[in-house]
Amino acid sequence: MTDQLISKVLVLDNSPEHINIIKQFCDENNLVGLKVQKNRLMSVLRSNIDLGAILFSASYGASPEENAEIATRIHTLRPELPIILRRDDAATLDDIPEIRRRVFCGAYTTDDMAALSHIIEEYIFSQVYPNELVRGISEITEDVLASQFKHMTTTWATPYIVRDKVIFGEVFSLIPLESAWCRGYMMLQTEEQAILDVLDAYGNKPEAANFRDVNSLLGEVTNLIWGAFKNRYIGDAGAASASRVQVPLIVNHKHKYISFGSENPQLCFFYTMTDENSGKTIKLYQRFVFNLCWTPEEFKEIAHDASELVDSGELELF
Amino acid sequence: MAKILVVDDSSTVRDEVANFLKGSGLDVATAIDGKDGLAKMKADPGIKLIVSDVNMPNMDGLTMVEKIRGELGNAAVNVIMLTTESSPSMKERGKAAGIKGWIVKPFKGAAVLETFKKLSA
Repeated sequence: MTDQLISKVLVLDNSPEHINIIKQFCDENNLVGLKVQKNRLMSVLRSNIDLGAILFSASYGASPEENAEIATRIHTLRPELPIILRRDDAATLDDIPEIRRRVFCGAYTTDDMAALSHIIEEYIFSQVYPNELVRGISEITEDVLASQFKHMTTTWATPYIVRDKVIFGEVFSLIPLESAWCRGYMMLQTEEQAILDVLDAYGNKPEAANFRDVNSLLGEVTNLIWGAFKNRYIGDAGAASASRVQVPLIVNHKHKYISFGSENPQLCFFYTMTDENSGKTIKLYQRFVFNLCWTPEEFKEIAHDASELVDSGELELF
Repeated sequence: MAKILVVDDSSTVRDEVANFLKGSGLDVATAIDGKDGLAKMKADPGIKLIVSDVNMPNMDGLTMVEKIRGELGNAAVNVIMLTTESSPSMKERGKAAGIKGWIVKPFKGAAVLETFKKLSA
């Protein structure tokens, strides 16, 4: 795993003369470009939970009218995703009618990709995440997953940035993270049946596992990661911010949507646990949303005195 | 037989710890939070060791221990905290309440079984 964060962008551009330039730009700017057939666009947008932005060509679609209609539909379906318009003539939205302009966050041309760089920096990579933090979260989570899913091996993908607000719709947990340098939430999302299968195969209950067992296990995984995060990066609760500002979280089950009241890009991790015996897998999405406070310049890893360290699971007698 | 009370709001942890201890021949009761743990302590004088989480709804583990020592006047029961917490201030509060030890989760039963047996005898 590298420390460099990436982000997935959906590229809606059928121009052969520009697509190679865009591909090169993606390679050089830690973006993973995804393409989709036009007839599958809306279903992909409904199901894809980890996008950072959409690169949209002014010539995409069969006509200018269809182009405008597609952009509007995307914006209506996923207003949190920045849509960046590629034009042939000028990197501006000024000459586009207001009713159409509002769906785009900016414009660029392939003659000058600096404009796209600025937009990507502003909308996707606007928050600095210290490498030690990103690496540490992966390490903590892998240790926790190994302790709770003893018969499975865990792999993880390169951490990434999303602006999506779509939730899985199956089971997820939320826990607040409070410190002097960060305030927000950690969210874990997974699929119920995959965990039920593992509990039935390896659990120690005589009866079949049910959704409450899944809830409890996900809760404990969340608790363990939270505890390890706190011990490694936050220290005593007294160091937490004096500010007790809160904002409402909105969960819309019908649209599988969650809002933390902030438009900040979110730090995400994706883990896959595999049962080597059956080949079955559990996918776990982990998302950090520092919506209330984020001052990475004050980030520090707690430097424990080696003599005070106690391994997890070991009994420290008083 | 002396009894061990396992207090944790997570049924995953309660089951894991209780099943391990039962499988090792120990008598085990469980409680779902500090309030429930306090009630079980009032009702069952046979409990000799408590293994408790710290962060729980309704009543946290350290408050439960302080009430056992204070309200119930029980200075004899041994207490081990099993928790994700490892902050020095939490441990100091636990020491002041007379707990015997601290385990940072996850639970590794084999490493602590003999101590648990001694403390529950």
